[in-house]
Amino acid sequence: MNPSDNNGSSEPSQTVEPDAGRAARFIGSLTGRLVMSAVVWSFVALVVGGFVLSFAFRSYVLTDVDKRLELLLDTLVGISEVSPEGEFRFNQPLADQRFLTPYSGWYWQVSAEGAEPLRSRSLWDFALDARHEQRSFSLRYSIAAGPDGQQLRLAEHDIILPEAEQVFHYQIATNMAEVQAAINRFNWLLVSALALILFTVTLALVLQVSYGLRPLRQIKRDLGDVRAGRAARLASADDPKLPQDLKPLVEEINGLIDQNHKLVQRARTHVGNLAHALKTPLSVIQNSVDGDDSERGETIARHTKEIRVHVDHHLKRARIAGGGTGVGLPVCDRIKKLANAVAVIAGDKQLAMSVDCDSGLMFDGEKEDFDELLGNILDNAAKWAASKVEVTVVRLDQGLRRPMLEIQVSDDGPGVPADKRDSMFDRGQRLDEQMPGTGLGLAIVRDIADMYGGNVKLSTAPLGGLGVRLLLPAK
Amino acid sequence: MRILIVEDDVTLAGQIADNLKDAGYTYDVAHDGEEGHFLGDTEPYDAVILDLGLPIMDGASVLKKWRADDKKMPVMILTARDSWTDKVEGLDAGADDYLAKPFIVEELLARLRALIRRSAGQTSPVLAVGPVRLDTRNSKVTVDGSAVKLTAQEFKLLSYLMHHDGKVISRTELTEHIYDQDFDKDSNTIEVFVNRIRKKLAAPIIQTVRGLGYRIEWEDDNA
Repeated sequence: MNPSDNNGSSEPSQTVEPDAGRAARFIGSLTGRLVMSAVVWSFVALVVGGFVLSFAFRSYVLTDVDKRLELLLDTLVGISEVSPEGEFRFNQPLADQRFLTPYSGWYWQVSAEGAEPLRSRSLWDFALDARHEQRSFSLRYSIAAGPDGQQLRLAEHDIILPEAEQVFHYQIATNMAEVQAAINRFNWLLVSALALILFTVTLALVLQVSYGLRPLRQIKRDLGDVRAGRAARLASADDPKLPQDLKPLVEEINGLIDQNHKLVQRARTHVGNLAHALKTPLSVIQNSVDGDDSERGETIARHTKEIRVHVDHHLKRARIAGGGTGVGLPVCDRIKKLANAVAVIAGDKQLAMSVDCDSGLMFDGEKEDFDELLGNILDNAAKWAASKVEVTVVRLDQGLRRPMLEIQVSDDGPGVPADKRDSMFDRGQRLDEQMPGTGLGLAIVRDIADMYGGNVKLSTAPLGGLGVRLLLPAK
Repeated sequence: MRILIVEDDVTLAGQIADNLKDAGYTYDVAHDGEEGHFLGDTEPYDAVILDLGLPIMDGASVLKKWRADDKKMPVMILTARDSWTDKVEGLDAGADDYLAKPFIVEELLARLRALIRRSAGQTSPVLAVGPVRLDTRNSKVTVDGSAVKLTAQEFKLLSYLMHHDGKVISRTELTEHIYDQDFDKDSNTIEVFVNRIRKKLAAPIIQTVRGLGYRIEWEDDNA
């Protein structure tokens, strides 16, 4: 459902073994699975095909060699005769240069039991094994050892010549090295061609899969946008190029996002309703023990106040949406409205509130969150200011991961010493018990700023009082 | 000063009413939006304390209806809805102040005093006419620095007149703003009260405008 979560959790192992991690991630990915499985099958098919081709070529070449050996054997038999004296001879010479050159690779030998065999000149001082004990009156092929360490393809046949009583063992052989070389050349060519095919197929697969999965990656990017608050729903739903079979998925995800949004809204409403429902009875309890100095009265008052702090805290937390809306809130108008509300609530205090702001500036977030941020900061400034509160807003683009709004609020009140500023963010912390309020204001400001990936810092304002610098994501 | 309390929680409304009574206000209570709207529409109030979450008609609608009908009395919203967005919306609907529950009674009273004073055009919490000083914060009246003891009814009357100094106030208006709606309105009692106040102050700041009513005015040559 959420790919970025999975990536996030596998991060630590990646930092230890970056290459292994990346490879593992590729194999685990959809692209990796599709490509890997296709490559494995292609590889198996190509290897089997290669073996078949190589075997076929080898048997073709051997058959060819055997045919030639048979022909030569027939020729040899044809020119053989036995003289009336019983002497074996050829009635014409076997005029082939290959049988004359020593160790040429082409040999013949005719042998009779108990007699010195006749050999081709090429055999020189080597004699083939006549193997008279294995007599065969049909043509036999085998592999035999030859001169000069050669490996020979041997055709042999036992023949009884018409005028003789003896059996003559005809042998004719050729060096296998040439044949083997041809086979090796062919195999080498075959492997190269198959490797090239495998490489090309893999490349084509990667391209095909990545093209095929492009809509999925688009959906992933859209989901990322939704999570980061740059979009409210998956934008792919309106893309006419989205494949038909992915449409239901995108619509389901959008439905889920809507439902999730509704659930969050409902949960927030429930917490809000509960908190609000508690407040009226709390008011009643608080007022009924007001001025009651007995121990019982004070206990009730103290605990009522505690309940109030809890209710306020959780109500405010529940209200924080803490995410971009993708719409953008015009900041200046809102600050002016809030400044007006703060001035009204400040009552008799004659405050000069100035807002210096460019009307095009937008905050990337919920109106309620912005109201809570600026309302609390301005309210605090108005409580402490002697006569002036100044607000300036600028947009920062340089050197930041995303554009931010810098909102500065300063007052001319007494300010807060540097060592006490941190404690202003603590829940329920009030530096002056005389002022009304629950002391939740600045704590909630920091909570909201954190949820938006912004921050809030306190300083001494140019006007002399407290300066609040707030950074928030801009739209 | 006559205040309208529109609050559906009977106990809380009673507590507010008791505190207003102790502080010298006259009040009427409505427990739903419709009744509240009717009272605000027909009776003259110096201020309204309005809850937002009301049965029948919600507080914001009541307020918008009043403002659409040109009813200008100051309205303080008293609600459990205390987000800044709610506050901005409440004030946009025409409220003059906004107090979140749970609240401290002292704050409610202080805000109410300031609200009434501001809507009458008074900037200081101490109303001064000639030698007479009326401190709205503690309900003390002094003449030339020495305290004057007034009864609750006498103080209500003087306070209303001094909030609207320079203006002619009819006896009917005084009756309406000093007594709640069930009071038997006999304007002769007003005259009795005014005479008693005049005696106690010993400074002629209350002028009778024949046939019309009373006016607070200090002329130096009277001194």
